[in-house]
Amino acid sequence: MAISQDAHTVKQFDIQLANFRNLVLEMGGLVEDQIKHAVQALDDEDITASREVISRDQIINGLHVKADEDCVSLIALRQPLGSDLRLIMSLSKIVTDLERIGDEAEKIARMTVKTYDAASSPPSAKLLRDVAPMARLASKMLHGCLDALARLDVEKAVEVAQGDDELDQEFQSALRRLITYMMEDPRNIGHAINVIFIIKALERIGDHSKNIAEYIIYLVKGKDVRHVGMDTLVQDALAQ
Amino acid sequence: MSTTAIATDLGLKPAATAATASRSVSSVEVTDYDNRQTVGKIVVDNAKMICRGVNVYYGEKQAIKNVSLDIGANEVIAFIGPSGCGKSTFLRCLNRMNDTITTCRVTGQIKLDDDDVYDKSIDVVQLRARVGMVFQKPNPFPKSIYENVAYGPRIHGMVNTKAELDDLVRDSLERAGLIKEVEKRLNEPGTSLSGGQQQRLCIARAIAVHPEVILMDEPCSALDPIATAKIEELIDELRENYTIVIVTHSMQQAARVSQRTAYFHLGDLIEIGETDQIFTNPKHKLTEDYITGRFG
Amino acid sequence: MSKPNATAVPTASRDIKTIVNATLKRRHAAERRFRWYGLLAISLGLIFVLLMFGNIIGKGYPAFWQSYIQLPIKFDAAILDPEGNRDPHAIENADYAALVRTGLRALFPNVEGRVELRALYALSSSDAPLELRQQVMAHPTLIGTEQEIWLLASATVDTFVKGNIDRQAEEDHRPIKDNQIGWIDQLQATGKLKQRFNTILFTSGDSREPEQAGIRGALMGSFYTLLVTFLLSFPVGVATAVYLEEFAPKNRWTDLIEVNINNLAAVPSIVFGLLGLAVFINFFGLPRSAPLVGGLVLSLMTLPVIIIAGRAALTSVPPSIREAALGMGASKLQMVGHHVLPLAMPGMLTGSIIGMARALGESAPLLMIGMVAFIVDVPKSFLDPSTVLPVQIYLWSDLPERAFVERTSAAIMVLLAFMILMNGLAIILRKRFERRW
Repeated sequence: MAISQDAHTVKQFDIQLANFRNLVLEMGGLVEDQIKHAVQALDDEDITASREVISRDQIINGLHVKADEDCVSLIALRQPLGSDLRLIMSLSKIVTDLERIGDEAEKIARMTVKTYDAASSPPSAKLLRDVAPMARLASKMLHGCLDALARLDVEKAVEVAQGDDELDQEFQSALRRLITYMMEDPRNIGHAINVIFIIKALERIGDHSKNIAEYIIYLVKGKDVRHVGMDTLVQDALAQ
Repeated sequence: MSTTAIATDLGLKPAATAATASRSVSSVEVTDYDNRQTVGKIVVDNAKMICRGVNVYYGEKQAIKNVSLDIGANEVIAFIGPSGCGKSTFLRCLNRMNDTITTCRVTGQIKLDDDDVYDKSIDVVQLRARVGMVFQKPNPFPKSIYENVAYGPRIHGMVNTKAELDDLVRDSLERAGLIKEVEKRLNEPGTSLSGGQQQRLCIARAIAVHPEVILMDEPCSALDPIATAKIEELIDELRENYTIVIVTHSMQQAARVSQRTAYFHLGDLIEIGETDQIFTNPKHKLTEDYITGRFG
Repeated sequence: MSKPNATAVPTASRDIKTIVNATLKRRHAAERRFRWYGLLAISLGLIFVLLMFGNIIGKGYPAFWQSYIQLPIKFDAAILDPEGNRDPHAIENADYAALVRTGLRALFPNVEGRVELRALYALSSSDAPLELRQQVMAHPTLIGTEQEIWLLASATVDTFVKGNIDRQAEEDHRPIKDNQIGWIDQLQATGKLKQRFNTILFTSGDSREPEQAGIRGALMGSFYTLLVTFLLSFPVGVATAVYLEEFAPKNRWTDLIEVNINNLAAVPSIVFGLLGLAVFINFFGLPRSAPLVGGLVLSLMTLPVIIIAGRAALTSVPPSIREAALGMGASKLQMVGHHVLPLAMPGMLTGSIIGMARALGESAPLLMIGMVAFIVDVPKSFLDPSTVLPVQIYLWSDLPERAFVERTSAAIMVLLAFMILMNGLAIILRKRFERRW
């Protein structure tokens, strides 16, 4: 991996680019927190904390708008080419995925509120059994790709992309288990559907993280690795 | 939450964040500044001009160092590079405009179809009729618009009657997209036109002799953006019938008009390739630094 | 930018303000002073020019007017045609001076005695009988009639009438005698002595008698000489300039030629005269005093000027036009012939005309090849002996008669008029054919 340490002749361009990247990283950090707090609130059955998560999504949406503005102004004012162009385009797409991840965290929080705010009894622990490991996996993927973005680390990005399969398998098996519970006892159906929404959200977070990882590979390597097999992805990304 | 907090969350030291943020990325394969071997595919299938091992010397100074590239038929190829990189010099080798400079010496081979451009048997008059040129500054002759366009066909004896010449002049002006603007004033001096119109008049003058290749040496550098856009549109239309080589300082312009781009640096051809590849994903560090504005 | 810098800027700007203010007065004063020097220099130059023009015009203006005396001439058939057969030969050789004398005596019947009569006859010019002969030859019907005819007065009378002889001076110290003054006064009183426009100045050649001397011979000599000069030096000069500027390779030989052409422009003109004498007259045996030789010599002198001006005009043609022509596939000759030369032509013509004007004013080299001779006849070809205007001026300026002083200045005025005309032509050509690109 080649990284140019040279600054642009136009210093203001460097500053603008750095600000844009920091904004995206800041947004990434916020999103990561949101997931952590949403999952924690679910675990703690804490409706108040969940409501806080929901309201905090507005901050992320605000950052998303700000990042898009930055992106447009960079393109308009600097006419980026080469690696600058790839960086700006990748970051602008990453921002979209981060915003979606934020939405998924909000969704988890909403489901938490819905689950524990109702007059009915709380769900049994076994229904929620798969949430914690999946949340751990999803968080790890998100953290990994933010890390890869901060360091422009292709290997790390590849690792993240590969992690998505594991999360998908977790989701499938969790889904099968939940179906079993629902068939065992129809009274579980209401809660189980909420839980399905939650784990679906976690699975989507994994998908978005994989997208981010692919953008990072494009950004660094100049190769578009979306919609190709994992083998091709790894091969393209790690090729010298 | 502040940036510092996120950085901490990511397991990075706060101080490192700024440094990483200002770092940039590159997918270049040649990172060695001293490696001046041409990167990219120099050969094309339907080559109109073939240049191999071209060296140009001005007295003792070598201006072009062992440059080889093909120019495909009906393509627009752009030469870019910083000032003094030899792109204009190389362009002028293609129709031997460098002959007028007494200290200039060219070695290597440049072929137009099957003819060696620098062969003794080739007359420059014939060569320049086949390889036309448009210059940086619009330079219409201080004669009427009609006379400007009619000049080439006249000296080469391309037409026999006045009617034929009239047709040829009108046709050339039409293909240069100028006819509507000058239809009523063909007898006014060419210098009375605006800069952009003058440059299109120069293009009309060049295509009046039906050249095979048109060389353009920074044709828009003296023009405003609207006039530039008109010329660029014209270049795109002309591509159907001509092979066009354009030297430009504007990377955006090279990106807009050309299919292939060649990057020159201090007399070396550093990189050549499809234009979109050059501008999104260059393979040589020097190209990358030049197009992203990190030069020097 | 750090904070200390930000605050330092206003201080610095205040400083620069006072610093500049301190020097401002001195700078303005220097500028004003320089402007005054310039004005002074220009007015000094103007004063000298005005003095020169004033002097020349003041002196030369009277030469354009000439005194004529109206005489009652009796074309006596007994004198003009004693045989009565109108034989042209006899008429031509008749004693016309007698007619003039009779006319004068008729005006002043009281004058008697040889000395008195001779003084009376001296009032009319020696040209008067010739004038009468011409008239009679043209109209033989005049014979036997009596006419009032205006005849040229002598130069002394003319000079006196123009007030250049002091009436109060002692009789012995002035060329005109008391009795003559009396007759002149009488003639003027009766309106028989008048000033008329001096056509002789423009229609006749040189003469020993001031009232009969004209510049036509010198003008024609100048015309033929300049024609030869132009026909020779313009084509040769233009061709040389084009070759040196556009075609010649840059090597030691062309450098040498260039240096020599520049040197040639600085050679004193008298040297060209010596060269002409040695080569054209002594070696080639061309006739002395001929405009052809004068033209050849002046060509040598004008050539470097035309070549240098031509090359300057060629270099001022923008290279973009050359490139455009070459880029179209024009050959080098086509490039020069179709584009460069037409654009350079106004400059070349201007240079040539200025060179020609210099040649027109040149006298020194022509002295060497014998164009300084006293020649009465107006030259009719390139080989006739002749003189030129500046040489004529030189010749006249040497003569003692007061009337020649006038004529010298008049000739200078004519020469200056031609100079101004030629320079004006150069300016018009430049303005007319100058093209924008």
